Amino acid sequence: MENRVAAVSMQGISKSFGTIQANYNVDLNIYRGEILSLLGENGSGKTTLMNMLAGIYYPDEGQIFIDGKPAAIHSPKEAFSYGIGMIHQHFKLVDVFTAAENIVLGTIAKGKLDMAKATAKIRTICETYGFDVDPEQKIYNMSVSQKQTVEIVKVLYRGADILILDEPTAVLTPQETDKLFAVLRNMRNDGKAVVIITHKLHEVEAISDRVAILRKGQFIGELITKNTDAQEMTNMMVGHEVKLNIDRPEPVDPRPKIEVDGLTVRSSDGILKLDDVSFTANAGEILGIAGISGSGQKELLEAIAGLQGVESGTIRYVNDDGSREELVGKDPLEIAAMGVSLSFVPEDRLGMGLVGSMDLTDNMMLRSFRRGKSLFTDRKTPRELAEKVVDELEVSTPSVNTPVRRLSGGNVQKVLVGREIASAPTVLLSAYVVRGLDINSSYMIYDLINRQKKNGVAVIYVGEDLDVLLELCDRILVLCGGKVSGVLDGKTAEKRQVGLLMTQLGGGEPVEQ
Amino acid sequence: MKKKSLIVLLAIAIVAMFSLSACGGGSDAGSGAAEGDSDIMVGFICLHDENSTYDLNFINAAKAACDELGVEYQIRTNIPEGQECYDAAAELVDAGCDIIFADSFGHEDYMIQAAKEFPEVQFCHSTGTKAHTEGLDNYHNAFASIYEGRYLAGVAAGMKLNEMIEDGTITADKAKMGYVGAFTYAEVVSGYTSFYLGAKSVCPSVTMDVTFTGSWYDETAEKEGANKLIQGGCVLISQHADSMGAPTACENAGVPDVSYNGSTVDACPNTFIVSSRIDWAPYYKYCIEAVMNGEAIDTDWTGTLATGSVLLTEVNDQAAAEGTQEKLDEVKAQLESGEIHVFDTANFTVDGKKVDSYMADVDTDEAYEGDTEVISDGYFHESEFRSAPYFDLQIDGITLLDTAF
Amino acid sequence: MNNSIKEPFLHITKRKEMAWQKAWAIRGGMILLALVICAVITASTTELSPLAVYGTMFKGALGSARKVWVLGKELAILLAIALALTPAFRMKFWNLGGEGQVLVGALATAACMIYLGKTLPNAILIPVMFIAAVAAGALWAMIPAYFKAKWNTNETLFTLMMNYVATQLVAYYIIIWESPKGSGKVGIINQNSEAGWLPVIGNNKYLLIILIVAAVTIAMHIYLKYSKHGYELTVVGESQQTARYVGIKVDRVIIRTLFLSGAVCGLTGWLLVSGSDHTITTTLAGGRGFIGVMVAWLAQFNPIAMVASSLLLVFMTRGAQEISTIYGLNQSFGDILTGIILFCIISSEFFINYQIHVRKAAGKEEANV
Repeated sequence: MENRVAAVSMQGISKSFGTIQANYNVDLNIYRGEILSLLGENGSGKTTLMNMLAGIYYPDEGQIFIDGKPAAIHSPKEAFSYGIGMIHQHFKLVDVFTAAENIVLGTIAKGKLDMAKATAKIRTICETYGFDVDPEQKIYNMSVSQKQTVEIVKVLYRGADILILDEPTAVLTPQETDKLFAVLRNMRNDGKAVVIITHKLHEVEAISDRVAILRKGQFIGELITKNTDAQEMTNMMVGHEVKLNIDRPEPVDPRPKIEVDGLTVRSSDGILKLDDVSFTANAGEILGIAGISGSGQKELLEAIAGLQGVESGTIRYVNDDGSREELVGKDPLEIAAMGVSLSFVPEDRLGMGLVGSMDLTDNMMLRSFRRGKSLFTDRKTPRELAEKVVDELEVSTPSVNTPVRRLSGGNVQKVLVGREIASAPTVLLSAYVVRGLDINSSYMIYDLINRQKKNGVAVIYVGEDLDVLLELCDRILVLCGGKVSGVLDGKTAEKRQVGLLMTQLGGGEPVEQ
Repeated sequence: MKKKSLIVLLAIAIVAMFSLSACGGGSDAGSGAAEGDSDIMVGFICLHDENSTYDLNFINAAKAACDELGVEYQIRTNIPEGQECYDAAAELVDAGCDIIFADSFGHEDYMIQAAKEFPEVQFCHSTGTKAHTEGLDNYHNAFASIYEGRYLAGVAAGMKLNEMIEDGTITADKAKMGYVGAFTYAEVVSGYTSFYLGAKSVCPSVTMDVTFTGSWYDETAEKEGANKLIQGGCVLISQHADSMGAPTACENAGVPDVSYNGSTVDACPNTFIVSSRIDWAPYYKYCIEAVMNGEAIDTDWTGTLATGSVLLTEVNDQAAAEGTQEKLDEVKAQLESGEIHVFDTANFTVDGKKVDSYMADVDTDEAYEGDTEVISDGYFHESEFRSAPYFDLQIDGITLLDTAF
Repeated sequence: MNNSIKEPFLHITKRKEMAWQKAWAIRGGMILLALVICAVITASTTELSPLAVYGTMFKGALGSARKVWVLGKELAILLAIALALTPAFRMKFWNLGGEGQVLVGALATAACMIYLGKTLPNAILIPVMFIAAVAAGALWAMIPAYFKAKWNTNETLFTLMMNYVATQLVAYYIIIWESPKGSGKVGIINQNSEAGWLPVIGNNKYLLIILIVAAVTIAMHIYLKYSKHGYELTVVGESQQTARYVGIKVDRVIIRTLFLSGAVCGLTGWLLVSGSDHTITTTLAGGRGFIGVMVAWLAQFNPIAMVASSLLLVFMTRGAQEISTIYGLNQSFGDILTGIILFCIISSEFFINYQIHVRKAAGKEEANV
C-alpha cells in the first residue's frame, strides 16, 4: 500500500493566521481509488489544510507534491489544473441560473458556448456516478441536497479526479447521506481520490477506507478504518479518554408548561414558515425538535420567546397553579413582566444572544441591565455573575473584560448558556447549542441541560445531530416544511424513522406515540 | 461589518477633505518684500483667494501698493464673513500690523469689533457703509465712483447698439440690454442704473431687463441668468456678479458683453467689448502713507476717475463699435471736468416724472428711512455723503424681472 | 525546492488582533512617515526648509496667547460636533447631518436674538435661545431617525439631504433678516445692545465656550459608558437582533439617540451664534459637520480621545493657515499637507488590521510587514 505514488502528498505544511497556528508541520498523503476521512474536532485545522490544496490559502511553510512532482497552488483555477476540486460547506452557486449554467460557468475559454454539448457531458457524468440532477433546473428551486450534487458535478465537469468535500453531511438527512455515500463509492471505484472532512465518527466508519486525524492543527496519525473503532478515534481526536454516552434521566413529574395550538407564522415577505403547529412541552422534560434546517425551528422558538409575529394560533404558558397565560402578541419585556422566566439560547450566538464586541460582564448585563431605578448601569452584579460562569463552566478566557468575540466557539456558548440558566428559568429554549463545539464542551452542555431538566425546567431542544437528539431527548417533534410531521418517543424512536419524517410529509401517516 | 465601516470611513474622509479644502480658511500671498524703508506693517483680509476675480483685484492692488511703498505686509485669504474675520484681524494686530484692510462687505461688523478693541491700529474696510455713523477714529470706509466707470462702459454699449441698429441687425425699438445682478442692493442698483444711463446717452431708445442671482459668486446662476435675458430678447449683456458665468454664456450665444472687474477678452474674444473696474492701489497707498506720516485717514474715501481708482480696460475692437475709444475718452474728460453728471435728473424719470428731491438712506438704520437730501444742482450726488453707493431709485426704462433677492 | 515555481510576491491577510503597544507604534510610525512625506514634498516644491515650515505651523497654531485661545475655541466647536455625532455612530446610525443640525440650531438662536432681543433681558433670553437651538437641532435629527425606525430608510442619504434643506432655510431667513436691505447678509446681531450674547468671563472671549464643551465632553463620556441609555444604544448598534432579543425597543432607542445627537448639534449652533460669531450665514458650520465625523472616527468614538483627534485637526488647519501667510503659498498647500497626514493616519488602521507578506524571489524566507 505504501509503495503507491500518492496523488497528493503534503509535507511539512504550516499555516498561521496572526497568532493562531492553524496547521503545524502536517504530513498527509492522498491516494487514488481510496476514500480518506480527515477527522478532527472543530477548529483542529482540517478545512484550512484542505483549502491549501484548493488554492484558497497558500502555505507558510512546506511543500505540496502532486503525483510526485512539486506543485504551487495559488488559486482555485490552478487547483483545477492539478485535478483538485473542493466542495465547500457554503455553496457557491448563482441562484437564478440552471444547474448546467452553474456547472459551465467559468470554464468557457473562447468562442461560442455549446450549451447542448455541455448538457450532454453533464448527463454522462450523472449517469456514470448515479447523480440525480436535472441540468435544466434552476438553483433556487433546488433542495440543499440537490445543490450539493450540482457542486460535485461542477467539480467533476472540470475534470477533477481529486475531490475534497467539507462536512458534506451536515446539511443532509440520513437518507440523503446514504445516497451521497453511494455516489462517493462509485467515484472511488472509478479511480478517483476522495477526501471527506468530518467530525462525525459513524460517518468515518461508514464511508472511508483510511482516516487521518488532526488535533489542534497537528497531524496525530492515520488508521485503516476497518481496523479501528469509535473510541480509539475519539481518543486520538480529543487527546484523552472521553465517555461517549449521554445521560437521559427519567423525567420527574412532567406537567404541561407550554401549550402551542394551531400556530401559524409567516415571514416578513409572506412565506409560510409554520403551518398549524400544535404541541405541548412539559416541565421536567426535554422536547427535541428535529428537521432539515429551515423547516421552521427558528420561527417556532422565536414565536415562543416573543420575537416573532404570529399569524394565528395560541401559545399558552401554564402556571404552577394550572392557570394559563397567552404569550402571543407579547414582546420579551412583557413576557418577563408577567413573571414568566423564559430563557432562550438562539442559534446565532453572536448575532442575537450576545454582543461580540462587548466583554463578558457587559454581556451578562444584557438580561439584567434594566434593574433598579438608577439612570446608570450596575456592573457589579453582572461582573460577579460573569466570574461565576467562568468559574463553574470552565470558560477559557483571559478575563471577564475580554470581548466575547475573541473567545472560541465553545466558550462563547458557555457564556451564553451560563447567562440564560442563571436566571433560574422555567422554560429553556435552545437552538443548535453544540454546533461548532468540541466534544468536551458538547458534553458539558448536555450535562447542563440535563440539570435544568432535573430542576423541573421545560426544555425545548432544537438539534441537528440525530444521534444526540435520540440519546438526549424524552420526546422528539419532527418538523417538515413548517408542519409537524410526527412526535416520537426518544427512547424507542429510530434514526431512519426520524430521517423519513424530516423529508416525508403526507407520504405516510404522521407517527404519533 | 468591518469592511463596510472601512468604506464608510474612507467616503467620509473624502467628503471631509473636500470640506477642508473648501472651508478651511487658509491664507495667502506673501509677507511682503520690502527691505523696509519704514517699520510699518500692513495686513489684508480677503474673503476668498486669487481664484476669485473679486479678491484677485484686491490682492493685486495690495501687492502693488506695498511693493511701491516698500512696506511689509501679510495677506490672509479665505476668511469667512464671521468671527474668523475678527480673529484674523486680531492676529494681524498681534503680528505687528499698523493698518488692516478687509475686502468683503460682510467683514464690516467684525472689523468694527476689532477696531473698538485695538484703537491704536487703523482698520480700513472697502465697500462698507458704517464708518460715518460708528464715530470711530480708526475705522474707515472706502469705495470708488465706479458708477462713472459703468457709465462709460454704458456709452460703449450704447454705441454697439447704435451700430447694430445702423447695420439693420435690430430696429431701434428692439435695443434692449440685459443685466445680471447679485442682490437688489444699492451698490448694484447704482451700478446698473449708471450703465443704463451711459447707454441711453448715445442710444436714446434703449431699454434694459435686470435679473438677480442672490449670490455674489454663482457661476451656474449667472450663466442661466444671462441665457434667460438673451432668450428674452436682450441683444447686449452686462453683469455685476463675479464669476465667468455671464461672459461665457454671451460668448456661446454670440451676444456682445460688457464685463466687470477686469477684461474677459481671453475667454470671450468675439463678444467682449470693454470692462470697468476699481483699482484699490491708490486707496491703499493713500492710507498707508497716511499712517507712515501720522496723518488721519478720511472716514469715507471715494476713489474717482481722477485718483486713478476707476479704470476701463482696453476696448476690444473685435466686438466694439467703431470709434468707441475716442468717444470714451471724450466722455471721460467731460465727467472729470464736471461738464456732465452720471445721475443728471434731466436724463431719467421715475414713474414718468422728473425727480427733484430724494432722501437717501445714507445712515443705514433698521427702518431704512431716507435721512439725507441727495439731489441738488440738478443731479443725484452719488458717493458724496458716504463712499458706498446709495442710489436706489427704480428709473423708467429698466425692468426688474425678479426681486426675490 | 523548485525555483521555477512561481510564488505570489505579496499577499495580504487579516490579523487576529494586535497588542495595543504595537498598534500605537504603527500609528506613531505612520504619522512620522506622513511628516517625512510632507517634508519631501515641501522641500522639493517650495525650496523651503521643512523644519522651518513645521516650526511655523506650530507657531501658527500655538504661537501667542490669542492663537491658543482661538485654537481652543475652534477645538471646542469641532469637538462639540464630533461629540454630538458619537452616540448616533455608536448605534451605527451614520448621521452625516451634523452640518444641517448645527445650522438649524444656529438659525433658532439667531431668530430669538432678532425677535426677542429687545424685549427680554439676557438672563431669560439666553436660556430661551438655548432651548430653541437644542429643540431645533433635535428635531432636525429626529426626522431621519423616525423614518429609519419606522421604514428603515437609508439614514446616510437622508441626513445628508437634510443639510441642504437646512442651508436653504438659512438662506431664506438671511434674505428676511438681511441688514442692510439687499446686501444678502445679516451682519452682527445686536452689536450695540449685545442682547443674547454669551457673557465673557474675564477677558477671555472664548473661555465660556471651552468650559461648556468640556462639560459636554465629560457628560457624554459618562452617558455612553455608564448610563442605561448608553448601554442600550451600544447593543442596538452592535446587533438589532440582540437588542430585540433582550426586549430593547429599537425604534425608541434610535429616535431617542438621534434626539440627543441633534440636540448637541443644536447646542453647538447656539454656541457659534451666541458665543462666537453673533451672526448667521449659510457657511456657519463650515464643513465641521463632516470633519466632526472624522474626529469621532479617529478617536474610535471615545469622547476623551476625541479631544486629541480634534486637536490634531484644528492644529493642522491653523498651522496650514500660518504657513500660507508667512511663506506666501497658496492655501491649498496647507490642505495638501493635512491630506497627507490624515491619509497616513487612516491607513495605519489598515496596517493594524491586516498583514502584508512579501515573499523573497528565492522562496522560503518571508518578510512580514
